[in-house]
Amino acid sequence: MKEKYKNSKWQEVINWAQKRSLFMLHYCTGCGAIELPPTMTSRYDMSRFGIGPAATPRQADILIITGYLSTKTLRRVIYTYEQMQDPKYVLGFGSCTINGGMYWDSYNTVKQLDKYLPVDLYIAGCMPRPEAILEGFLELKNKIEVGDADGYKRYKTDYEYYKSNQENVLGEVKRRQ
Amino acid sequence: MRNEKELIEFIKEKLNPLKINKLRKNNVVVQLNNSELVSGLNFLKSQSYSHLATISCVDWIEDNEFELVYHLFSYQDKINLSVKTRIDREKSKFVTIKNLWKVASYYERDIHDFFGVEFEGNDNMEELILENWNELPPMRKDFKTREYVDQKFDWRQYHGQE
Repeated sequence: MKEKYKNSKWQEVINWAQKRSLFMLHYCTGCGAIELPPTMTSRYDMSRFGIGPAATPRQADILIITGYLSTKTLRRVIYTYEQMQDPKYVLGFGSCTINGGMYWDSYNTVKQLDKYLPVDLYIAGCMPRPEAILEGFLELKNKIEVGDADGYKRYKTDYEYYKSNQENVLGEVKRRQ
Repeated sequence: MRNEKELIEFIKEKLNPLKINKLRKNNVVVQLNNSELVSGLNFLKSQSYSHLATISCVDWIEDNEFELVYHLFSYQDKINLSVKTRIDREKSKFVTIKNLWKVASYYERDIHDFFGVEFEGNDNMEELILENWNELPPMRKDFKTREYVDQKFDWRQYHGQE
């Protein structure tokens, strides 16, 4: 997008359009993954709100970290996140992503997701039910409309912070430029 | 087809178990001397105990020993047979059984990851589950989980309502 359109009326139009068409990457890291199929399908049907599942990171806008995230998976999540195209949003799902949850003293589980990836929204609960997920999606849509969901911008501006945190836990993270 | 009682009698007769007992229905536990384990497993495999479900390891830190447990199953007898043996904790070395069951090489790599037990004859001891692990193997009893977590991760700070 050209520089002169940013923060103009055009940005509002783009936000308005963006929030009405969201694609969620169906990438499941933890036990919360079991709540997503009912959210997607006929019982709760998230396509009512203009949200659909996507198969690959390059086609998706939303990355949901469903539950506990082991350090080994964190590396794959980072690769996945960096493959996604802007604008992209990260949803922390369940108490494990907030403070480790029931894995608070596990040697292998990441405790605070927002130190490694820019989280736009947390959905608390262990596990959050599909209603809570939909509530979270609606909240995310509101944030997109007012321009609060700026995680992907923060990832660029605070890249050194995220990178150093990632490398503290994982060692070297190989990236393709 | 044998029941548990007949199996216990049979093993007592053929092998030289240190301990053998019926744990519950369809579950028998036998403890062997570690020098007799491979020949014992070989014999049991020929006696219809041909399914190796997994190998597990227990850290008996007070006795300074690791206990390796080979979980066998017989499709004829429908009995789970756990063959146990104890090895020295300091040396933590044992022989591989990958010549008996190919799949054992993966279970041995897993035990090497989490307990640091070496298996002689199994050359591939790359990390299977863990990644870039330089500390003490995490499932050992003397691995201090809390200290490790304190040092590696930060706790989230909570400020209550004011």
